[in-house]
Amino acid sequence: MARDTVKAGLLKADGNKRFQNGDFVGAESLYSKAIIADDTNPALYTNRAMARLKLSLWDSVIADCQSCLKLNDESMKAHYYLAQAYLELRAFDDAVTHASRAREICAHTNDKSLAQVTTLALRCKKDRWEDSEKRRKRAHKELEEDVLGMMRREKADSTDAVADEGDRRQVAEEWDAKMAQLARVFEAARTDEDKRREVPEWAVDDITFAFMVDPVITVSGQSYERASIMEHLRRQPTDPLTRDPLKPSDLRPNLALRKACEEFLDQNGWAVDW
Amino acid sequence: MSSLGTKRLGKELAKVSKSLPPGITLVKADDLQEWLLDIQVLDQNPIYAGETYRLKFRFGKQYPIEPPEVVFTKQENRPIPMHPHIYSNGIICLDLLGSSGWSPVQNVESVCMSIQSMLTGNTKNHRPEGDADFVSTNKARPKDIEFYYHDNEV
Repeated sequence: MARDTVKAGLLKADGNKRFQNGDFVGAESLYSKAIIADDTNPALYTNRAMARLKLSLWDSVIADCQSCLKLNDESMKAHYYLAQAYLELRAFDDAVTHASRAREICAHTNDKSLAQVTTLALRCKKDRWEDSEKRRKRAHKELEEDVLGMMRREKADSTDAVADEGDRRQVAEEWDAKMAQLARVFEAARTDEDKRREVPEWAVDDITFAFMVDPVITVSGQSYERASIMEHLRRQPTDPLTRDPLKPSDLRPNLALRKACEEFLDQNGWAVDW
Repeated sequence: MSSLGTKRLGKELAKVSKSLPPGITLVKADDLQEWLLDIQVLDQNPIYAGETYRLKFRFGKQYPIEPPEVVFTKQENRPIPMHPHIYSNGIICLDLLGSSGWSPVQNVESVCMSIQSMLTGNTKNHRPEGDADFVSTNKARPKDIEFYYHDNEV
């Protein structure tokens, strides 16, 4: 185990400078040297992960974040970068897990990145929902085509079995009508899905008008997204509705509402962009 | 503007484009920085009867955590309403619009309604004390002005 903290610190500072100047390759290499000098500092791994994120080296980002989490499993940044890398790799469940974890750590430590991390957590959920929607729709379409294909074959078989020309035409027309009816049923199911796009008032934060992820309730009984009300309280320690004094420690998580929001979002991922 | 403010203003715009309370109309909202709205006083208050006034909203990066800047702007057919809390340059002295009176649950519509009702209830046909002085010397942004609420009965 290497542990030259002074040398590592200098290399890290140089790396940060490169990073700020947009030289992500240079930064990445300096962070790597810093890690060789001291492989026990979790922050060096997240710094390199941050540079590797910029370089689109998703697998390496994941490796760095995991090294960091072995040293400190409460690293907000490691979870935050992991979520971004998994999102790029379309590993949606992992992305959601780590974004949620990063968000919890932010909320717990009163981290100012809370709003940004909340946005990522929502994005992960939305992308996961879109992916499953796409697969569901594809399956739906395939089912429609399979069934229609079967009906076409059935139509061919039954018209072939009829000798009389007039009867044959009648059988063919009956099958055509059935197939048209089936296509309408599938179509109706599709438009029905697109219609159900209304966000319930209870799920909307009165400060940002965005969908809530982590609603907290004030003394007056109104719930807000944690990140928004914290932003407001940093500026002014009052209840937005009653103007009575309100401290961050007066806020309580609204667990039932949170659960309801989560369930709604699982079914309606589009609500993120509403 | 932060994504927070953009999203929120986009939704407010969608709502005010569809419907606003009587006496309030949206004039212009081409971007998410500056909007114009017209307001009228609907009851028969003789001070404001028959007039239409134009409000200009400007939204900063921190909206709605920080208040918008709201002033009356003067142009043809759009005078500055006479009121002991409205200066002749259009600056409105209303606690709701100041940094300490603002609340992020307020919005463009609720601000317009507050200003409308501030006019509706007024009976004094004059400017604030020291209007001429204030108008010629003030350089501060409206929300940074520490108004002295000398006349709380209005």
